[in-house]
Amino acid sequence: MLNVSPNTLRAWERRFGFPKPQRSPGKHRLFTHGEVAALRDALQEGLSISSAVSRAREGLAADSNSLVGALVSFERDRADAAIEAALALRSVERSVEEVLLPTLDEIVRRQGTDSAAWAFAAHWGADWLRRAMRLAPPPIRPVSIVLGDASRDELDPDAPYIRALELFCVRSGISVLSLSARGVSGIGDAISVHQPNLVVLAGGYLSDDTVARWAYAVRLAAGAMPVAVYRRGDQRVRMRTTGTSVLPGGAGEAQRRLLELVETDQAATPAREPASPAEHGAGAESAPHRRATGTDGP
Amino acid sequence: MALVPDTLPDPQPTVWFCSHCGSHEDTEDDATPSRVCDDCGLGVLLETRADIAPREDGAFLVLDHNLAVCAVSAAAERLLATSETEAVHRHLTQLLVPADAEASAPVNLASAVTWAANGDDASHTVTVRPATTFGIRLTARIAHCSPPRAALLVFD
Repeated sequence: MLNVSPNTLRAWERRFGFPKPQRSPGKHRLFTHGEVAALRDALQEGLSISSAVSRAREGLAADSNSLVGALVSFERDRADAAIEAALALRSVERSVEEVLLPTLDEIVRRQGTDSAAWAFAAHWGADWLRRAMRLAPPPIRPVSIVLGDASRDELDPDAPYIRALELFCVRSGISVLSLSARGVSGIGDAISVHQPNLVVLAGGYLSDDTVARWAYAVRLAAGAMPVAVYRRGDQRVRMRTTGTSVLPGGAGEAQRRLLELVETDQAATPAREPASPAEHGAGAESAPHRRATGTDGP
Repeated sequence: MALVPDTLPDPQPTVWFCSHCGSHEDTEDDATPSRVCDDCGLGVLLETRADIAPREDGAFLVLDHNLAVCAVSAAAERLLATSETEAVHRHLTQLLVPADAEASAPVNLASAVTWAANGDDASHTVTVRPATTFGIRLTARIAHCSPPRAALLVFD
């Protein structure tokens, strides 16, 4: 489309930060059609690569602006159309990260969390993310996580990020069980059904005591396992729980970091719990869930 | 059959050059010509009069009719202590200001750039200095380049 070599595209990525590729599982660069098409069109009338990149970026940012306009005008159909337009040029992940979440942030910044505009936008965003989740393929990875939601409610500005992380995990084939961190009673049943590899504590609204009580209940049910913290706020990143990792604030980065944590833990597990060949064979079906025998509940 | 002599001047020979490295390219050989420079990959190819075109690795700017900077060559980045990504869309006078106190009114920096960016074939010579630096005088030629229409300011 651009009629340039891969080296040139890499040089543009270094110098201009555009087009910005995603990575395939094999670490190959994956450029979105939208960015490349926008750059191709801008190059036709550009006097330099810089000005073409700038123009292409402006064109792509228009999606975000139109979504902001639709949401602050309380126009659901227009908002749906704006996100559909973004999806025509980007993957679901990039549409969420580059259009939906920045749009919601912008509305919080402009109108505040106590505004009707934010109430409408937050509800629309949560609804859209739920719809996207329903369209996600079934889990294919041998990875399962439990997400303890410590956000206030739908109006919590962290809530869309938590839903986005959940969506990205589900779309990458991870099995996710999302539970409010307020609900401690019966958590053992949930853990025994889900058999997670990792626990994520997400959101900064609930107090440390409440979250710690929930995490303790999970630990009693499932035994020791990696714990990651997502959007708990800078002041509370130092948790006393050993082995807690703090995930980056961006949903995409956080999902990639989660996968790394699980892979690291799975690689370390044989060293900690050497399994006999017989156990290995018998446990093949439950191999994805390394605590298949540790789910008796508290 | 030439009863009436052609009064138009002979068309000036033109060359294509890269907006970043200034290298000259022969676009007629390419089956599928790209606007991106084959040599550096960091500039687009622009056409201008051969006698005005910057030399390879020359210092030059490309400006539009609003006097906004559209391209800064690699040598100009060093000369003006800026980068293209920072300079693009800034007003010319944030980078360069006239430095010829004796210049007569008809040709000054702004008018020369505006005329060139609007397609005027004539070239003009002006004296300028970097906007943030005193005591330096640079001679620059200003002429038309395209596509799209723009002004080319080449430092001598």
